[in-house]
Amino acid sequence: MTATDKVFILACLDGSELSNAVIEQAIFLAKNSQFPIKFLHTIEHSHNSKQVHHEGTITPNMTENLLNDLSNEERIQSKQLIADGKTLLNNATQKAEKAGLSNTIAKQRHGSLLEALQDLEQEIAVVILGAKGEDHHGEKKGLGSQLEQAIRVSHKPLLIVKKPFVAPQNLMLAYNGSPTSKKALDLIRQNDFSTQLANIHIISVEKNIEAAQLLIDEATKVLSSANCIVKGQAMTGEPVQVLTEYQQQHNIDLTLMGSFSHGKIHGFMFGSFTTQMLLESANNFLLLR
Amino acid sequence: MLLSAKQDWLGNIRGDILAGIVVAIALVPEAIAFSIIAGVDPKIGLYASFAIAVIIAIVGGRAGMISAATAATALLMVTLVKDYGLQYLLVATILAGVLQIVAGYLNLHKFMSFVSKSVMTGFLNALAILIFMAQLPELINVTWHVYALTAAGLGIIYLFPYLPVVGKILPSPLINIIALTAFVYFLGIDVRTIGDMGELPDTLPIFLWPDVPLNFETLQIVLPYSLSIAVVGLLESLMTANVIDELTDTTSDKKRECKGQGIANIGSGLMGGMAGCAMIGQSIINVKSGGRGRLSAMTAGVVLLILVVFLSDILKIVPMAALVAVMIMVSIGTFNWTSLLELKTNPKSASIVMISTVVVVVWTHNLAFGVFTGILIGALFMAQRLSQFMYIESDYDEATDTRSYNVVGQIFFNSSDKFINLFDYKEAIDKVVIDVHRAHFWDITAVAALDKVVIKLRREGADVSIIGLNEASETLLDKFAVHDKPEEIEKIMGGH
Repeated sequence: MTATDKVFILACLDGSELSNAVIEQAIFLAKNSQFPIKFLHTIEHSHNSKQVHHEGTITPNMTENLLNDLSNEERIQSKQLIADGKTLLNNATQKAEKAGLSNTIAKQRHGSLLEALQDLEQEIAVVILGAKGEDHHGEKKGLGSQLEQAIRVSHKPLLIVKKPFVAPQNLMLAYNGSPTSKKALDLIRQNDFSTQLANIHIISVEKNIEAAQLLIDEATKVLSSANCIVKGQAMTGEPVQVLTEYQQQHNIDLTLMGSFSHGKIHGFMFGSFTTQMLLESANNFLLLR
Repeated sequence: MLLSAKQDWLGNIRGDILAGIVVAIALVPEAIAFSIIAGVDPKIGLYASFAIAVIIAIVGGRAGMISAATAATALLMVTLVKDYGLQYLLVATILAGVLQIVAGYLNLHKFMSFVSKSVMTGFLNALAILIFMAQLPELINVTWHVYALTAAGLGIIYLFPYLPVVGKILPSPLINIIALTAFVYFLGIDVRTIGDMGELPDTLPIFLWPDVPLNFETLQIVLPYSLSIAVVGLLESLMTANVIDELTDTTSDKKRECKGQGIANIGSGLMGGMAGCAMIGQSIINVKSGGRGRLSAMTAGVVLLILVVFLSDILKIVPMAALVAVMIMVSIGTFNWTSLLELKTNPKSASIVMISTVVVVVWTHNLAFGVFTGILIGALFMAQRLSQFMYIESDYDEATDTRSYNVVGQIFFNSSDKFINLFDYKEAIDKVVIDVHRAHFWDITAVAALDKVVIKLRREGADVSIIGLNEASETLLDKFAVHDKPEEIEKIMGGH
């Protein structure tokens, strides 16, 4: 048994508008890697009953009666959610089969996405998930409430889908010399897929241009042996703004970044760089750690 | 962590606030009634309910659970208040809180697993009986008006919910209070009112250290009360937490709840309130009214205080009969009526455990004693039952004049006599082989019993050999390192 038998591209579906993009992204990734797809649908219970009684009386057998009412209500909800999820998963696996992928797995779990990511951590090669879930349907900006936590709890690469799928042509790497961004360089260097890309942009945003240029030189040197078109660009300014503008100007499809270099408290107080990027940009992101 | 805290507080704002208001309305008469049980002014219970509900909302381990002044803890304070007065009650409350925090750090919540379903039923039934009994002083030596009013109140409480639309929106206990108060006030009927029972709050509570000498004598006086309060408070709180866990299909942090109850009681004592704990009835009302988050308990506490501070003039003229009607409802609702039917169908041992819990509580007015009795009797029944799981096969081989005994099952303090008596000491034989590899020796009494058997047989002149003692003794250790390893447990418990 090889390691790849046990690790999957975990594609998280929830029926939101981005689920289709997640499916196609997963299929694309599976075709360009040795990993099979596991489609995951989580059934999240709110446990907030819609039947509410305000009589305020304490009646005999109140616990039993209430337990019956609540569990019946949730049973019906759960059945519906399971059925909806099955349809979603069937649709996804059929698409994968049509695309010529045979060993796709579909899985349903109870509980939050976060719990699922923690429990399945061992078998994840990369997680693909939409930037905002079904609860945020119609909101123009914004991130799913579970996304930031997912980014924190998961130790695996996360591909965050923000727009309908297109086969990536232009890839951008936000390079700051950190261990994770070096990891990203290695990924580009070692992956055959890099050769199919039109352009690989490597961007460093630092306080002064010399420092940024040093980083770019370092990065382009690593990639010099790889058979791909690399464009390095040293820049100064406010990183989030500079990077998102660059994304737009150069039609970037996918951005590679390390995630959450700051501690939790820092992120809570000031909003982390990663969250800011995810919020401001319309791009898809691959977060490495 | 931060996000889950946010979810706990703001995940259900509308539902929590509405439910909190329903609970606050239901809490007012209970807090007053429990103050009367404890023998203190109504304001003591009301301040306590405010302080505990608000503090536990922040520091508790079970979101959506309601804690306040309770009957269970009030019953324990009666003699302390009578003999030493309010200030000592406040100290006892603070000390009970400290003990509960210690219990939390010592992980004592784990002992809840010893409380069986029968004990829990007994606890609730006893509580219901005691709440009912506490209403009797209001119903004895009174004019017929009081009986009529109480009956009318009960009628309103139970029939009002059947009215279309309004019956589902307005809490019927509140309607009972409003209707009876208006009736008594406008007709000028002379019956006892809440105002006759003592002071109501007219200001917000203030922090104040109890006015008692801080010495060993004080400690000696309050410690027994504090211990009882701490134990009973945690018992009811953890029981309630389990009920809410089950109702909402979520989990709670029991250790945090223990510490939280302690902090809440300390806060209550410092604000001039009595000790309290989680309330089963109110917590279920909260869930039923759509409350799930911490905001519900917070709302309940704050609304309760606003209600009583601003409405204290109106509260004063509420007839006791209206309050008694509410408490009879609480009592009827708390009692587990199906448990009476189950007396016929349940195993006798379960019924005996339940009934003895009730009897001891009603006798001592201390729920802790009842629970301990229930646990003890339950454990004895369990030991009795387990000792039946043992037998000895015996076989005689004529050629070698050997008697072999094959012991199977559980041998411990309660089955060791039976074990000794299963051997035949009158038989005159040459050799005895005792095979114990399918037996389990649970304690040193079992080992001593085997020694006794061997000595007795040797005295009769037989050569005794024992097979499989190592396997049988594996269960002797206090702690096996096998709790999470099925194959290890199988090795010990399965057929060797």
